[in-house]
Amino acid sequence: MCDVQGKLVAWLDQELPEQEAAEVERHVRGCAECLSEREAYEQVSGTFDAYCDAVTAAKTRRRVPRWVAALSGVAVAVAVAVLFPSFPRTRVEPRPVHAPVAATLPVTGVAPTAAPGKKVHRAHAPVPRAEERATRWRRAESAVQIAIPAEAMFPPGAMPEGMSFIAEVSIGPDGSVERLRLRP
Amino acid sequence: MSDDSLPLALPLLRFAAGPSEVTALYRELRKPLLRYLVCLGVSSDEAQDVVQDAFVSLERHLAAGGTQENIRGWLFRVAHNGARNRQTSYHRRFGEALDAEMHFVAGDATPEKALLEKEKFRRLRRAIGLLTDSERECLLLRAGGLRYREIGEVLGMATSTVGDTIERAIKKLAEKCNV
Repeated sequence: MCDVQGKLVAWLDQELPEQEAAEVERHVRGCAECLSEREAYEQVSGTFDAYCDAVTAAKTRRRVPRWVAALSGVAVAVAVAVLFPSFPRTRVEPRPVHAPVAATLPVTGVAPTAAPGKKVHRAHAPVPRAEERATRWRRAESAVQIAIPAEAMFPPGAMPEGMSFIAEVSIGPDGSVERLRLRP
Repeated sequence: MSDDSLPLALPLLRFAAGPSEVTALYRELRKPLLRYLVCLGVSSDEAQDVVQDAFVSLERHLAAGGTQENIRGWLFRVAHNGARNRQTSYHRRFGEALDAEMHFVAGDATPEKALLEKEKFRRLRRAIGLLTDSERECLLLRAGGLRYREIGEVLGMATSTVGDTIERAIKKLAEKCNV
């Protein structure tokens, strides 16, 4: 083993005094063993650097902020609300009622044979006709409300603390999204 | 490193207000400092805090008329002490299994090359686990571009001891990694 080998790393790091560095360089040029050692040290130094970079990259990998994820969700909901009605859909219409009203609806409280002028006590409210009921049923809609904290959608400091938004999705009787409203 | 777009932390915004030496130093040394701390085993968030604190301390140091000699070594020393104060058992984490190999071999490496690189990393990780604390710290500071004298200042060691420690550490790694 050469005496110079104890100085090889310092020489590679340019830490040796000028004269000493020149001596080591001269020796390494003519010594196969030192040349091989030098290559090995250079290689391991390079691998160590690359490993440090990889560790740093793995540990500092950026995560998607929560507000970006929440905003993406809202964007998807808006996109669905806009696109959904344009899809060709088979609407399910309520079947028309042809049968006489009297046959389908139970009549309560009013006797058909009541004498004119005689006050009839109505126990219940008047029963709507079948068409009316169908219309009322169609108007009925269900709404889903999703509370989204403001800090989940906007960068910190952009909105007052504690503020949140309600995303209200109205779903029509045929299952389509009829309305999407975002309110504070 | 993939954190180019990280915004300046609030206390450092004043540094960015105009061109100054501290701003230039921040741009130059932020990444090496982060890398050093993260490789020591400090979490990414804590490393950011430590670096930020180091630059705030530097501003105070300069404002108080402190010496401007070897600011780089000074910053590394402050960051090193900050890391030590925050975590006492950081040193073991560097040798722990991370998904670092995946990053290293990512890109357009062929499967064979990727496998070889992965194996090389695995061996290096095992070898790093065998180093002493001071050997590991010396190598990390050396990888951060510090001279032996600066490393000695950061770690409180004589320059000649730093040289010996680095030499020993590199030889250990080369031997264990079979390069």
